[in-house]
Parts: sequence; structure tokens; C-alpha cells
Amino acid sequence: MADESILRVENIKKAFGKRHVLKGVSLSIRKGELKVLMGPSGAGKSTFLQCINFLVMPDEGEVWLEGSRINHARKHDLYGYRQQVGMIFQDFNLFDHLPALDNIAIGLARVKEMPKKAARERAMVELERVGLSDHAHHYPAQLSGGQKQRVSIARALAMDPKVMLLDEPTSALDPELIGEVLAVIRNLVANGMTMIMATHQIGFSRALAHEIVFMEDGQIVEQGPPVKMFSDAVRERTRAFCAKISELYGETF
Amino acid sequence: MPEGLLAVITAFPYLVQGSLVTVAVVVGAMLSGLVLGVLLAVAHVYGHRSVRLLARVYVWFFRGVPLLVLLFLFYFGLFSVLGINLSAFTVAVIVLGLISAAYQSQIFRGAILSLPEGQFKAARALGMSDLKAISSIILPQALRFSIPGWSNEYSIVLKDSAVVFALGVAEIMARTHFVATRTYQYLPLYLAAGFLYLVLTFMGVKALRMLEERVRIPGYSRPGVG
Amino acid sequence: METLLFFQQDVIPAFLKGLRVSILLILPSAVIGLVIGIVSGALRAYGNRGVRLVADAYATLFRGIPLVVQLFMWYFGLPYFNIYLNPFAASVIGFSLCSGAYHSEYVRGAFLSIKRGQLSAALALGFTRLQMVTAILLPQGFRRALPGCGNELIYLVKYSSLAYMITCIELTGEAKILASMTFRYTEIFFAVGLVYLALVTFASWLLQLAEDRLTVPGFEHHKL
Repeated sequence: MADESILRVENIKKAFGKRHVLKGVSLSIRKGELKVLMGPSGAGKSTFLQCINFLVMPDEGEVWLEGSRINHARKHDLYGYRQQVGMIFQDFNLFDHLPALDNIAIGLARVKEMPKKAARERAMVELERVGLSDHAHHYPAQLSGGQKQRVSIARALAMDPKVMLLDEPTSALDPELIGEVLAVIRNLVANGMTMIMATHQIGFSRALAHEIVFMEDGQIVEQGPPVKMFSDAVRERTRAFCAKISELYGETF
Repeated sequence: MPEGLLAVITAFPYLVQGSLVTVAVVVGAMLSGLVLGVLLAVAHVYGHRSVRLLARVYVWFFRGVPLLVLLFLFYFGLFSVLGINLSAFTVAVIVLGLISAAYQSQIFRGAILSLPEGQFKAARALGMSDLKAISSIILPQALRFSIPGWSNEYSIVLKDSAVVFALGVAEIMARTHFVATRTYQYLPLYLAAGFLYLVLTFMGVKALRMLEERVRIPGYSRPGVG
Repeated sequence: METLLFFQQDVIPAFLKGLRVSILLILPSAVIGLVIGIVSGALRAYGNRGVRLVADAYATLFRGIPLVVQLFMWYFGLPYFNIYLNPFAASVIGFSLCSGAYHSEYVRGAFLSIKRGQLSAALALGFTRLQMVTAILLPQGFRRALPGCGNELIYLVKYSSLAYMITCIELTGEAKILASMTFRYTEIFFAVGLVYLALVTFASWLLQLAEDRLTVPGFEHHKL
């Protein structure tokens, strides 16, 4: 049976001491798809995403990228894998000592070992793509939250990742700044980027996601296309959660 | 003209030459302490258990044994036993450097620990090895934030440099005492020496403050604060 | 075996003799230095302009000039005024005044970091000035100054070795004499180093104990 998925994750388990945060989570995603992870706080969404690129080492489970298994024990393989998987953090995590342009260029220069000039040129292209070319020489401390997040998206895109993992990209933003970041993400979807995103943005997810994956208590309890999830959700909890979220964040179905 | 003042004025050039030796000792010690201190700090924060233990033992030893004892131990003891013939100046720089490394490592360690966790995470997410992450992301920030602590360490090492007089290094203290025993003008001469140390302290601290300004990251005053 | 005998017969008696002198140096210097530090620290925090100026000058001078220079001034310099101190007295005076300057820095910082609002609140509640000082000011000031002053006391244990340089023969002095006679520098100074290390470690442990006992939530400083 041919594996059409670009990324396949199987049976990820993770415990911190006695707390079992992930109890066997599996997911696969095909090229160009957007899958959205939703669920209450503590469901394990963030931990799961960080297990996919092994920032957090899972206790059990395997990951396949384009059909080949990732041997996370071999450092060399691990670093190479991470170059192909981009990650966007809730707290942006831009490198504070570098201006925006260099934040994007450093991955290219230090990890992919591109010459500095070429790295900076490519970085400028990415910066323009997210609409921030004017801020190339501004430091993170001088940027707004929305701008920081857009730079971090540009930083991840510059590495030409095959898959992007987005961990609640707009949760730390003031409401009026959310739109600019969602616009960039919408562009990525339109251009066919494969993405797994954890978010509370229901309207956005409903419009653009190929599949919603609902997690609770370290497990996937339901998954399906948005249409099915938001109107036909079998489990009461899923429906209740979605209703609560839309109430909290002012979204309407 | 009072005898004391005369003695000071006559000896002053000689004492100022001693300042150069003092500065050489201090600079040598601070720089070697810097290199070793960074290595110790990185080992202490990121190393395996046994490496961390080694770092902790080093710091405990070199912060706990008095400077004078270490100077005697190394100069009369260790280097003699090992058959290595080093000048008093060299031994002074080495010992002061080893001690300073212990204190500097704690300054750097504090700075590294004060950086937000996300900096290292983002570096790894890009595929950077730990070594690359530490050298391009962590240290450039941590070292900048260490400058105030380093400035403090400078004034401490400067004062400690007076102790190397015990090994016969011809720095300020040694020369002052030399002249004083010959002219009997102890008090004026020691006051002059004290004055020289104050001047060196002031100049050094000022220089470091200028350095701090030059490398400051725009808009970023404390780790984790925009 | 021969080394062991050497230690038992020669080293230990010499060390004990020196250690006795060291302790006789450290204890009075610690107490006097602390008292000077608390008084000058308080004056620097709460005194009027003139008083502050004098106290600040004291602290700046005695922290800026090396301890060695200060010791030499008391021992070799005072005769200029016809005051002749023996090495022991000169050492105690030197240590007290020098560490007093460092203590004053920590005490001053501790007092200044206590928000004035708390003191006003106490007075508003009807506390007398004295009650405010003893019930509100001192307990907090003490806790905040403890790490700094405690560390300074630990430094004093180490710097007491400098008394040797003005011919006060304490532990280090005894070691040097013995080593010069027997040429066994490495063993003797390593041993003496370990003795100081033990003293310093013990003192640090006591300090940590004191800090932990007195900890109040919100007062913890960055524990490294």
C-alpha cells in the first residue's frame, strides 16, 4: 500500500513524570493540506507539535517524512529533518540580538551554510513576501507582536520546509494584530504549503482547513472535515468546546 | 616642600610604570578568565552530569582557597615539582586567571539562564546543532548582559593584583613598598598608590560602560523584556 | 607513611597554631566590620546630605583601594603620626574598616529597597518611629542584606590570609614558614588550601541555612 502522506506520525506517547500528556497520538497529512488541532488547554496540542520535530523527545512513537522514517537518535539525521520542518511558536521566539533580516538569514547562513550575501538576499525576498521589507533592520524589541510573528513565519519559510507546524500562532497577539498574521497564513494555504496548526481561530479553521482534529486529555477524540465537525460532531464535548471557543473569541459559525 | 610630597613626586614615574605592569597582569587574568569562564559556564549549563560536576568542583575550589595560598602553591609548589620554570609575572596571571574564571563563569551562567527558553528552542527548530545554537544565539546575548557583572569583576581583579607583590612582581604595590622602605615616607607613598588604583578602577569601569553602550541591542534592556 | 608522620608531627601543630591566630583575627574583624557597615549603611540611606557625603566617601575609598594597600598603611604608615600598631592590631583595624565599607554597601542597598510606602503605612497605623524601625524596617532590611553581608564575611575568612603580608603570622604565615624550612611547598600549601576550603564551605553552608530559614515568599532572589 503506497503511503501518499508527506508526513506520518504514529503512536506518540509522552509522559512528564507521572503526568501522561500524550497517550498515543497518530496523524498523517498529505501534501498541500491544512490540518487544525483544536482542544482545551492541557489537551497536549503543543506537546504533540513539539514531538513531531523532536524538540520534545517522545517516549514512544515514530515519524515518517516522505516515506522515510526519521532516526532521531542520529544527531545528523535529526538536524537535517528539522531543516525540512518549519515551526512557528506562540511566543514568536525571534532571536533578540539580530535585526529582522538577519533573523531570517541566520538559518540559511549557519545551518544551510549559504554565503552571507546570498542568505541576506533570500531573506529579503521572504521578508517582502510577508510585507515587512521596510523593517529589515529593526530589532525584535522594536516590532509589534504581529510583525514579530510574520518575521518568524518568513524565517521558517526561508528554509524551504516541506511541512510547517504552527503552535497557536495568534494566541499571544492583541486582537487587532491577529488579522495580519492570518492573512499571511491564508496565503501559505493558497500556495499549497502543508501545515499542521494548533489554534482557537474557529472561523479561519472552518474556512480553510481540510481536517479538524479534536484533542482532549492526550488523545485524538474526533477528527473530520470542518463541515462535519462543526455541525455534525458526534461527541457532545466537541460541540460544547467549539461553542465555548466561539463565545470566548467572538467567532460565529 | 614637605619630604613626603617630594618623595611621591620623585617616585611617581616609577610608580606609574608599575601601573603598566599591574594593567598587564589584570588584562591577562581577565582575558584568560573570560575564555575559561565561558567554557565553564557552557559546561555548567549544558553539559552532561559528569561535566557539570567537574565545573562545580572547579568553581568551588578556586573560589574557596585564598589567593595568597594559591599563588604560593603554584609558584613555589606545583610548577617547581613539574619542573616548569615560569616567571612570577606569568604565574600571577595564570593564578589570577584561574580564579577569575571561576567567578566569571558564574556571571555568564546567570546571564545564560536569564535568557528566555524559546531562544534555544527556535534555534533547534531551524535545525541548528547545540554548538551552533550556543555560539550564534545564546552567547552573543548572554555576553552582552554580562558586562555589568564583568565590570565588577574587573575592579576585584585589579585590587587582587596588589597581592602578587608577594611573589615579587614589580607592579604598583611592590614598587611603592620598595621606595617607601628607602625613603621612610610610607604614608604619602601608600596614599599615592591608593590613588593610582582608584584612577585605574575609574578608567576601567568607564571603558566597560562605553563598551556596553556600543554593543547594546536597540530597544532591548533586559532578557525577556521587549 | 613518612609524609603522614610529617603531617602529624610538624604540620598539624603549626596549622593549629596558625588557625588560632586566624580565628582571633577573623572574629573581631567580622563583628566590628559588621557594626561599622550597619551604621554607615544606615547613615548613607537615611542621613542628611552632609552625613551621607562623609559616609559615601568612606565606602568609596575603602572599597576602591586594595586591602593590601590599606593594611600596609595601618602598619607602616601610622608611625608617621607616631602611632605604632603591632601586626595583629593593624590587621584587625584594616580588615574591619575594609569589610565595613562593603557591608555598608549591602546594608544601604537593603534599606533603600524597602518601599517607603510600607513605613508610611506603619506610621499611619499608629506605630511609633521606634516600633516601625524594629517591626517593619529591620526585619526586612536584615533579610535583604543577608546574602551580601554573608558573602562578605566569607570573603573575610579568605582575605585574613593577607595578614601574613604585614608579618602577622596566622595560618598562611605558619604554612609559609614551615614550607620554607622543609621545602615541601606543594603538600603544605595544598593542605592549607584545603583547610581554608573547609572553613569557607562551612561558612557558606551556615549562610545558606540562615537564608533558607528566613525566606519569605517574594523575597527569593535568583537562586543559582
